[in-house]
Amino acid sequence: MHLPDGLLPVGMAAAGYAGSAALLGLSLNRIARLPDPGAAMPRAAMLTAVFFAVSSIAVPVPPTTVHPMLVGLMGVLLGWFAVPAILVGLFLQAVLFGHGGLTTLGLNGLILASPALIAWVVWRALAPRAPTVAAVIAGSGAAALALALFVTLVLLGLPADVDGAAERAALGVFVFAHLPLVLAEGILVAVVLRVLARVEPGLLPDG
Amino acid sequence: MAEPAGLLPGDPRARLAMALILAFGFAAVGQVGTVPALLALALILALVAGQPARLLRGLRGPLVLAAAFVLILPLVSGATVLWQAGPLRLRAEGLEAGLLIAGRLLAIVTVTLTLLATLPAHRLAAALRGLGSPALLADLLLLTLRYLDEVRGEILRARLARRLRGGGAGWRDLPGHGAMLALALIRSQRRAENIWAAMRLRGHAAGLAVPPPPLGASDRAGIAVAAGLAGLLLLMDRVA
Repeated sequence: MHLPDGLLPVGMAAAGYAGSAALLGLSLNRIARLPDPGAAMPRAAMLTAVFFAVSSIAVPVPPTTVHPMLVGLMGVLLGWFAVPAILVGLFLQAVLFGHGGLTTLGLNGLILASPALIAWVVWRALAPRAPTVAAVIAGSGAAALALALFVTLVLLGLPADVDGAAERAALGVFVFAHLPLVLAEGILVAVVLRVLARVEPGLLPDG
Repeated sequence: MAEPAGLLPGDPRARLAMALILAFGFAAVGQVGTVPALLALALILALVAGQPARLLRGLRGPLVLAAAFVLILPLVSGATVLWQAGPLRLRAEGLEAGLLIAGRLLAIVTVTLTLLATLPAHRLAAALRGLGSPALLADLLLLTLRYLDEVRGEILRARLARRLRGGGAGWRDLPGHGAMLALALIRSQRRAENIWAAMRLRGHAAGLAVPPPPLGASDRAGIAVAAGLAGLLLLMDRVA
């Protein structure tokens, strides 16, 4: 679920770069305040590799194909590091495979990194009381928010005179095709966090 | 120095700058009449680079997407009916929008793949660093590429082990997939920590890298040509 090159007006693409740069600047500033910013690099790079590899896999969900996003998992496990990690993953996908886009890198970064950060905040707030529920909400919520941002941007970028009924039908199919993914992302985050808590608690944030 | 591909500049900073200038120039095109010039320019660049087979492989996905825009938008967008068969109406405005979006998409992806996908990964990281991006991004990019094989290997091993234990396939056994992903993460993390510790002991730090040499004449010429072509295209587009 990446915005491709050429779809949106160039002004929106430039605004996406500005928005992503601001988000990246904020996250780098917060990372620099950590006692040892380099300590989390292996985890961030490893999850970036997972994000890169997994989001290159298209899963057939008729009548279209979708791919896992893992933005909720990235947010919960990486916190502020999720922003540079997602941007690096998107950059690699764009320049190595033409997946996503070079001009839409900023917008795609916003679509995925903002939900990741929100998932992290939600998980931190809810996890002490109900860790499984928090994980499901973080995973599914992040995927749903990314989906909503994607649809909003596509609607803004499409020609103004698109037939309303056809537009609603196309968006209905798109959202319906992604609903299993939204649910799956929540379950995946809950299972991954539960296994990590039992086997390797050091990998959990603040673990 | 980087290896030049065909007549393209060898310095990765020049390639990245050229790709960004051309991509944003192409994205700014608003008239369907300029699309043939866009595609011709992208094609010439691809021929100059001299790796058409690799490019065609990379273009398979974008070609499907471009075809979808050209086929669907004329059916759902616009008021001027060009052709009608039962409930299907082919509209001029939608066709124009579909051709414009598809043309921009294919031209930008062609330029991106031609200029950047042919670079070794460490040169991409060097290009990012050389153009002033934060050291953390360059480090993250290098480490991601370093760990990619490790992570892939661990996921494949975990998947095989799961199948041998009788684990199901597809969406039905989602918790099983989650457990597999978690175990692959744990194993990869141990290796990743070791690799990172060894790299730091050897003095690795993108922030302390030797400053890159200034761009050569051919690199500066490449950037100037890209800027000139993008400007010319936009001029054509505005007066069309």
